[in-house]
Amino acid sequence: MFAGTVLLVFICLFPFLWMALSSIKPLGELYTAPPVWLPEHPTFENFTHVLFDSNIPRYFLNSTIISFGSTAIALALAVFASYGFARFKFRGKGLAQAFILLGQLLPTAAIIVPLFITLRIFGLVNSYLGLILVYTIITLPLSVWMLTSYFRAIPAELEEAAIIDGATRLGILFRITLPLSLPGLVAIIVYAFVTTWNEFLFALVLAQDYRVKTLPIGIAEFTTEFNTDWGAVMAASLIMTLPIAILFLAMQKMFVGGLTAGAVKG
Amino acid sequence: MSRNPGFLFVLPAIIVLGMLIVYPIAYTGVLSFTDSAGHYVGFKNYDRIIHSRVTSRAVWNTAYYVLGSILFQIVLGTLTGILLNQKFPGRGLVRSMTLIPWVIPGIVAATTWAWMFHTEFGIINHMVVSSGLTDKPLGWLTDRNTVMPALIAINVWKLFPFVAIMVLAGLQTVPEELYESARVDGATFWQEAWHVMIPQIRPVLVALTLLLLIWGLNAITIIYTITKGGPANRTLIIPIQIFRIAFEAFQLNQAAALSVMFFAFTIAFVIVYIRVFATAPEERGS
Repeated sequence: MFAGTVLLVFICLFPFLWMALSSIKPLGELYTAPPVWLPEHPTFENFTHVLFDSNIPRYFLNSTIISFGSTAIALALAVFASYGFARFKFRGKGLAQAFILLGQLLPTAAIIVPLFITLRIFGLVNSYLGLILVYTIITLPLSVWMLTSYFRAIPAELEEAAIIDGATRLGILFRITLPLSLPGLVAIIVYAFVTTWNEFLFALVLAQDYRVKTLPIGIAEFTTEFNTDWGAVMAASLIMTLPIAILFLAMQKMFVGGLTAGAVKG
Repeated sequence: MSRNPGFLFVLPAIIVLGMLIVYPIAYTGVLSFTDSAGHYVGFKNYDRIIHSRVTSRAVWNTAYYVLGSILFQIVLGTLTGILLNQKFPGRGLVRSMTLIPWVIPGIVAATTWAWMFHTEFGIINHMVVSSGLTDKPLGWLTDRNTVMPALIAINVWKLFPFVAIMVLAGLQTVPEELYESARVDGATFWQEAWHVMIPQIRPVLVALTLLLLIWGLNAITIIYTITKGGPANRTLIIPIQIFRIAFEAFQLNQAAALSVMFFAFTIAFVIVYIRVFATAPEERGS
């Protein structure tokens, strides 16, 4: 078992370490066989190259704006929808739930063509708003699913007492239910943000201009068929991973708790 | 409508998803039966796609990639989940580190592994050559026979932690009595795993397999970044083929026809899968 644990940690950690080590190696140490394990002359030239001679900073900004925007919209929609599903009975509810679940099953590649044409008609190709809206459909279904089971787990008696005291439904949602669902909310915020931050295919098709291109596209751009600046790629990859890593480390307990709770109950 | 506040709560999400999912799907259907000028052409686009040799290549590659990935993701993920459920010092830290591959962006995993698999300067070739597994460096990502297994390995690395954490969550709900009665019967650890743990987490595994299937069918990042479908179309999967037809050859209508078939197949597969494997989740329809 000890050997298994060591192997597991090595397999999970090594690629990340290798990326970090490669990002601070000078050219001569990157392009050499056999490879140098630890950098002998560590340098930040890959980082300065990425930060000052490439579009990566701009893409970082684009990714940030799009991820925040999309997460906010998905969160707002998911909170209301989940509350509706968790607390009310209404005609067509089963159908509506099935419909939202279908969104999660959707092969994104299968709708990219008409989505592109539709956004083009509305002038939303190469715009923040277009990408923000499109990312909402990727993150919304699972968010609704997770949050619904979270709301269900909160005893309805707490709300009934407030109803007797004359509170409105919206008041109850914001003053009682949401504060009690904090781990669930954190889980879907992290999920939506990370998913949007990492998404590739929609960005590849819908962002063709440096003013809206996101980080994944920026990193792919470093790779050309014949020549790849591997030092810069590793540095840019590390820069892209940092916010995700920080977010995840800060929220880890809540996130894993919220995620698995939703999974087991759903 | 005031009698029905639940519907009002749900409505905004339904409208947004309707606009961005139902409309595009319907529109794909229309596109697939017309030419670029919008005239009805019957099944001509479908005919072109079905009879193209590239399509059968893409179907085969997609099946190979998705099924190969799922097999190893489930097996390694389950083993890891069982390992992480045992008591040992530093368990919390190991659990956190296991999640690293899953948390790392797909594009970053792709570029990092591409660099590690590099024929001349890659660390993997260095490892296999210096340990004597092969006598000369392999062109992992350029050789037709190794490229798909290498890409599957990357995809498995990326997602087995997710399986592990879900399996772990499932295992934590297994009542202690079940283990105790197995131990009274003198079960070994592996018998316990097979006869106690696996049956208990079966619903989790069924749901995970479906999720992995859908993610696998959607996954374009790793393959597109590393090989773009090459060499010699050996890693051309259907999503990349759709992208190529639509945005490199600008045959939007043919791309739509392939999209419709891909979509129909996915939905049909999901429905069959749920019918066959899923025991009805208790909360469905409540």
